[in-house]
Amino acid sequence: MSVITIALPSKGRIKEDTAVIFERAGLAISAVGNDRSYRGRVDGIEGVEIAYLSASEIARELASGAVDFGVTGEDLVREGMPGVDQKVEFCARLGFGHADVVVAVPEIWLDVETMADLGDVAADFRARHGRRLQIATKYWRLTQQFFSGSHGIQLYRIVESLGATEGAPAAGQADIIVDITSTGSTLRANHLKVLSDGVMLKSEACLVRARKPGHEEDPRIRQIVEAVRAAL
Amino acid sequence: MPLIDMPEFSADLLAEFAARRAERVNTPVIQPAEPFLDMAGEDLRRRIFLTESETGANLCLRPEFTIPVCLRHIETATGTPRRYSYLGEVFRQRREGAHEFYQAGIEDLGDKDTASADARAIGDAFGVLKTVLPGRKLTLTLGDQAVFEAVVKALGLPFGWQRRLIHAFGDMAHLEALLDRLAKPQAVAGLDPEIAALIASGNEAELVARIDATMQETGYSTNASRSPTEIARRLKEKLELAETRLDGTALLLLREFLTLQLPLADAPAALAGFADAADLKLGPAIAMFDARLAALANAGADLSAMTYRAAFGRPLDYYTGLVFEVTEAGSTAVLAGGGRFDRLMTLLGAKELIPAVGFSLWLDRLEAARARR
Repeated sequence: MSVITIALPSKGRIKEDTAVIFERAGLAISAVGNDRSYRGRVDGIEGVEIAYLSASEIARELASGAVDFGVTGEDLVREGMPGVDQKVEFCARLGFGHADVVVAVPEIWLDVETMADLGDVAADFRARHGRRLQIATKYWRLTQQFFSGSHGIQLYRIVESLGATEGAPAAGQADIIVDITSTGSTLRANHLKVLSDGVMLKSEACLVRARKPGHEEDPRIRQIVEAVRAAL
Repeated sequence: MPLIDMPEFSADLLAEFAARRAERVNTPVIQPAEPFLDMAGEDLRRRIFLTESETGANLCLRPEFTIPVCLRHIETATGTPRRYSYLGEVFRQRREGAHEFYQAGIEDLGDKDTASADARAIGDAFGVLKTVLPGRKLTLTLGDQAVFEAVVKALGLPFGWQRRLIHAFGDMAHLEALLDRLAKPQAVAGLDPEIAALIASGNEAELVARIDATMQETGYSTNASRSPTEIARRLKEKLELAETRLDGTALLLLREFLTLQLPLADAPAALAGFADAADLKLGPAIAMFDARLAALANAGADLSAMTYRAAFGRPLDYYTGLVFEVTEAGSTAVLAGGGRFDRLMTLLGAKELIPAVGFSLWLDRLEAARARR
């Protein structure tokens, strides 16, 4: 029987919340080796291993099919791979780790409340400023799908941001941002506002399955999914 | 360049280009990525092969030839008019087909007689394809952004609305969404009453001063991005545009125009008829359209193989007039695509306006088409 690997977050609040759900689901995890080990196994189902990884690594391992299941944010999974729905299945939404991926502009842009407004601004930005509208984000794939795919906005440039994205407009690194927010307080503190139709994705922690051959016939796969769903 | 991997008909193409007096140029395979992302937009990012130099500069494998050829022209500062040709590999991430394939084409820079330059580009594309695909029935679809611009202007829409519609030309879903907004205008909601009052009273200076003060207080630079004046003026314009309603007749006309599709030879009469019936003055755009058609006829082009489709365009801001595509009859694979891009050269840094028209051949599709028989 092949080994099924479940990748779980290795630290923080999301690690604890995941552990609670797995316990409630009857999927008790015991550490392999000492307590600080990054590997574990699920007691009671043969051949189910746990790998503790960082949230973004989990998205990557799911994309490559190196693990069978993962618990991580939907935003990271959707950003991390093209053709996401062919590659993975979102089996359960776990009710924690809520974060919206949003388009936010400076509050003082009194004339910009919608994506259509932003489209107008982007269209003649180059003529006015000699450069394209710049968006700071770490979500270039989601941004591109939302701007080009859903709103017909082509002419902008992405400035990759690896942290403190919300500070980029005031710091002059970019004009607007695409970032995650849960309460909106960080955005407000930086005098940014979310566009009325600027919520790109309502993300939360999910149990995600990599679509791999062999899963169909394996009863353990269904058992794990149903146990987690029943625990919600 | 080693000939071994190149399509077997490459030599024929190069001979055709030489006979058509287009100077062959080559450009490096590794290109700075910025000009491509800047011109074609971020949509291109997932379709090109990006890498970074040791110093952090964005580089990519050449995804097409037009921008490198134009940049090379600007750098070498040779005068115009010039005709360049190219044949080489391009690299794109595609769902179907290989990631590296050959393209060839001609770029015609600086010919001020746009009607005849347009006709020559079409004639060159058609002529070259005929030598590579002898005896095949080829069809050409032609669009013209200038005609659409003229229709939009003649309808008397405010300038801001003209700009929106022209910007969306070629993207039917976006255009439809804009037409819906024009049919059912919605008032701007949620505006601070004090700001609304300032605008209503026409006190721009006060509004600008307020925006400026808020930006200073909140630590936003007033010149790094959008300025207080720009924000104030666009807010005023937005409120005006929100009230614009296109009456049913005009909307119907615009939709009717966008559905026009007919043999190219019949297009001038149809456009004239449309303008007459709608009582629109389309003036210079129609004259240009007719002059191009006359130039095509003079050059002996096979007009019966050509179709005009009014909604055909490319939603990128450097395309200005003609666009065309050539397919084999009964197939959807585009063998040649071309158009006029009068704004590209200045966007890339040319000091003066250089009119430009060109086309590109997809050699992998040509190989497939040749193999079909």
